[in-house]
Amino acid sequence: MADDKRTQSLMDKVWNFFTSLKLAITVLIILAVSSIFGTIIEQNQPMEKYQQVYTDASVRIMDALNLFDMYHSWWFLLLLVLFTVNLSCCTIDRLPRVVKIVRNPKTTLDEGLEKSLGLVDRWKKKGALDAWVEKYAEAMGKEIGKPRVTRNSDIVHLYAESGVVSRFGVYVTHLSIVIIFIGAIVGNVFGYKGYANIPEGGSVRQIPTRGGTRPVDLDFEVRCNKFSLTFYNDKFGNPTQQPKEYASDLSIIENGREVLRKKIVVNDPLQYKGIWFYQSSYGPTGAATAQVAVVDPAGGPVTGLALAAGQKTALPGYGTITGVDYQPNFQGSGPALLVVLEKPGQPPAQVWLPQGKPDVDRKRNDRYFFSFGGLTQGFFTGLQVAKDPGVNVVWVGCTLMVIGIIIAFFMSHQRLWIRLAPSADGRVEIVLAGAASRNRLAFEKKFEKIQDDFKAVSA
Amino acid sequence: MLNVRLFDLTTLLFGAASVCYVAALYGKKDTIARVGTWICIIAAVTSTAAIGVRWAESYKMGIGRIPVTNLYESLVFFAWSVNLFYLFVEWKYRNRTFGAFVMPIAFITMVFAFTNESSIQPLVPALQSYWLHAHVITCFIGYAAFAVSAGVAVMYLLKAKREEAKSDGGVIGLFPPTKALDDLVYRSIIWGFPFLTAGIITGAAWANYAWGTYWSWDPKETWSLIVWLVYAAFLHARITRGWHGRRAAILSIVGFLATIMCYLGVNLVLSGLHSYGGS
Repeated sequence: MADDKRTQSLMDKVWNFFTSLKLAITVLIILAVSSIFGTIIEQNQPMEKYQQVYTDASVRIMDALNLFDMYHSWWFLLLLVLFTVNLSCCTIDRLPRVVKIVRNPKTTLDEGLEKSLGLVDRWKKKGALDAWVEKYAEAMGKEIGKPRVTRNSDIVHLYAESGVVSRFGVYVTHLSIVIIFIGAIVGNVFGYKGYANIPEGGSVRQIPTRGGTRPVDLDFEVRCNKFSLTFYNDKFGNPTQQPKEYASDLSIIENGREVLRKKIVVNDPLQYKGIWFYQSSYGPTGAATAQVAVVDPAGGPVTGLALAAGQKTALPGYGTITGVDYQPNFQGSGPALLVVLEKPGQPPAQVWLPQGKPDVDRKRNDRYFFSFGGLTQGFFTGLQVAKDPGVNVVWVGCTLMVIGIIIAFFMSHQRLWIRLAPSADGRVEIVLAGAASRNRLAFEKKFEKIQDDFKAVSA
Repeated sequence: MLNVRLFDLTTLLFGAASVCYVAALYGKKDTIARVGTWICIIAAVTSTAAIGVRWAESYKMGIGRIPVTNLYESLVFFAWSVNLFYLFVEWKYRNRTFGAFVMPIAFITMVFAFTNESSIQPLVPALQSYWLHAHVITCFIGYAAFAVSAGVAVMYLLKAKREEAKSDGGVIGLFPPTKALDDLVYRSIIWGFPFLTAGIITGAAWANYAWGTYWSWDPKETWSLIVWLVYAAFLHARITRGWHGRRAAILSIVGFLATIMCYLGVNLVLSGLHSYGGS
């Protein structure tokens, strides 16, 4: 029926469109070019920030085109879908043909095949045909692989091949992309990304998620026992301002019991029940306090004080002490605290207390002397929290991709045919032909060598 | 520091090698080109030693780490890879004319490195990972292969133009035949592509281990994907008719420009996570 035929040809047209290499190249280039926009326009910023940078009209246009979050926009996702459909269709279209070639190789060198191959040579040898069949079968075995022998009345065909697997490299690579996308979708649907700020000594059970409306409830508790920050030392052993390590000592508490404890640093996360906790940021909780020991020169330590900056602290029977300044490297000898001492009826005295010299204040010959034990700062740790059940699928895809690319580019399906036939002059006519699926230039050289070697084979 | 002096010497050697190759091309003297090759070999030894010395010196400073963690170090590592990849190509193809188009890339890279801060700085916590090694090495081998491909693509375009004009003389007459150049443009890319792929994957694996996201569309990631897409387009275009030769050469050059954008442009122009320690 005419109607049927038209539908068929329309279907064919659609199919041809989706399986075409042209579409693949076009989609690759459109993806590449459109991706540039998102690297120039900062993504996912507050609207006010865009309004400062761009004019109102351009903000409206860019917003309409979803350019402020373009990698999640409908049109970019549509491009990715088109990309996936294209490579899936190509696979469905071509893979059966390749399987057929691999399963039923053309084992006879007939005239049609001979004409279609670029690498062909012929020569004649004296002697019995069967003896030459054996000789060349052996020679082929050394070069490519053990040949299959086909006899057609008095004509004998030899066929050998190597690197068949290279035919599948491209499909492994295409499949790997689909697998990576599946992994990404699984991660997006069943996983979440969140964050948690936990003060030292505190714990959380709920994780606010990015883009989510409700925080996720954990069935365990995460406690931050301690956050620590260390700096590199310079060549004299004094600390610099260059951070060396951010570390959080975390505990997982389940049913009131600590089930896991780990010190995490950047690049070394903690994982419990498929949920990962990453060291991400930190910050101070409240103001720092200075630890000052009060010592009686005759009788030893009296008390310890924690001084908040600028806050007068009373010392019964003495007066008041106030921490007024702190220097991380006072006169090149490390941290020191400046305190103001006030006694009733006396002018206030300012004294620097270096942390490295706890006894220096003794020489003031006062009733008490003071020594500075360092600053104490409470911190909170900032953790990224992620659950991604699709991530291992992504890694499977990535591994397959590398394997697929290596197979596709560095292996070649090499085929060699020989046809032996009795010639009119009583000799044996030998026709040699070869083909390679890749790296033809290198195979041409190999073929030349095979030509020379095979011609030189003697009875 | 000894390592910086060795790198400075490498810069001079790359410059001298470039001059030799270009002079050989114009003077049509293979002897000069041979001198160029020897200079490249000496430069390979010097720069390899410099990387080793820098590595050792970082340990002596008590901050031992692989020397590929800031802009200076990545530039010298890139130049080092280009030089080695080039020597491999010269040996494989037994043709020294490539040098005039590839070694200047290594030389310019080193001159640019020379203008950057060269002291050894300790690693910020974000970079303290074994993934760093795999990620940087794979990426830079890929970049080096793309650099060689683009250099050869320029040769192809010059040679093809000359052939069209049907004049065989001059400097360009000495180039390998267009068929060989076209093949080398392609071969370099099929070496670069798996390394770039592995570089992107190791970067994703590292990001996932450090931050919990393997892909966050940060400008560096996105540009590496753009580079990957351009070369993927190149590889698919090769199978279709009419995309050998000129168009393929142009795509290879476009791919290398995207590579430069990914490697340097993103850091110098855009913002993101790969700030190379702020330098």
